Amino acid sequence: MTQATTANVKAERWSGGQSPYNVSYGKIMMWFFLLSDALTFGALLISYGTTRFASEVWPNPNEVFHSFPVISSLTDTPLPLMFVSLMTFILILSSVTMVLAVHAGHYGDKKGVIKWMLFTIIGGICFLACQAWEWTHLYHTGAWWGSFIDAPLDTVKHLFDFSKPGVTEALAVNPGAASAATHDFYNYFFTITGFHGAHVTSGVILNIMLLVNTVNGVYERRGHYEMVEKVGLYWHFVDLVWVFVFTCFYLL
Amino acid sequence: MSAHHHNEDIQSLYEGDQSKLYSGIMNHHTDINSQESKKQIKRIWAVTGLLSIVTIAEVAIGLGAYYAGVHNNLIITIFLILTLVKAAYIVKVFMHLGDERKNFVFAVLMPLSLFIWFIIAFLADGSFWLHMNKTQADTKKVEQVSH
Repeated sequence: MTQATTANVKAERWSGGQSPYNVSYGKIMMWFFLLSDALTFGALLISYGTTRFASEVWPNPNEVFHSFPVISSLTDTPLPLMFVSLMTFILILSSVTMVLAVHAGHYGDKKGVIKWMLFTIIGGICFLACQAWEWTHLYHTGAWWGSFIDAPLDTVKHLFDFSKPGVTEALAVNPGAASAATHDFYNYFFTITGFHGAHVTSGVILNIMLLVNTVNGVYERRGHYEMVEKVGLYWHFVDLVWVFVFTCFYLL
Repeated sequence: MSAHHHNEDIQSLYEGDQSKLYSGIMNHHTDINSQESKKQIKRIWAVTGLLSIVTIAEVAIGLGAYYAGVHNNLIITIFLILTLVKAAYIVKVFMHLGDERKNFVFAVLMPLSLFIWFIIAFLADGSFWLHMNKTQADTKKVEQVSH
């Protein structure tokens, strides 16, 4: 290599014939797609925040989400945050198994890739099953897109935290605000978790395709497992979005 | 590095499947049981532990705040910081962005700074709408009276 100045090195890097980022085209494009998807989810979540800030009252997530499969049919004790925490752990763990699959791919360990991909797929399916249970349960309480339009205050009162300052006063002046807020809340909840669930589903399908290809030796013949890495990026993105959805809907 | 990229034997790798160049030829890892590999796996599990602890902390604070009847800006800030910590580790270690070249890291992260304006502007908008609805909601009545 000749004594290149900084400017020359920069020009060489961008002069073609090589990746200026030292990353393959496919991986760069996956990252750029994830950026666009992050802005889409961001728009949905920020829209949720704007509506919430513009509402005098808002349902308390600890009142809305307090059920757990099987256990809730055996006891009346509310279990706020428990089920969603389980879902978060499942998705994080499936992300970890995906990293381990990518790691195995880096070392050309075909058996390792198969093992960890299997765990990732199972984790993804478990998450989808949990989300399906959550949706079904909420549906049976009357929640859905377009629900609680002009509903009487008594039907939604239990979702609000009256110890919070300003709530009782606001509802005395405008009792319809509770129903309107509940309606908005569920619209956003089903839309955002639904859009996320669609991403998880497509991710599971992609992972299954990866597994089949790995078993058939496609990547072994190709000489590298970069496809596992690229779909892995998508899968981690799905986990990332869930981390933010969990925070916005259940914690804040 | 650029001096090596015009040899005939790997020229064909530029057309079409670039991935061979950056993942096939460049990767020299072969032994999954090597020390290097074991170290990397240990790091993955360490970050997993960290993510789990942060999540447990978030749930504990959430439950504690709910049962204590506390919900203020401090709690919200704590949740946001913890969430950003989780996001940073997932992106840096799991997605390997921390191992990439610096110009690529910036290419990915700089557009996200748009979110800073995005969030502030729209939450401010929401608060403003609430204020307007509370104080200006009866302007229609005022207009009718003045005709």
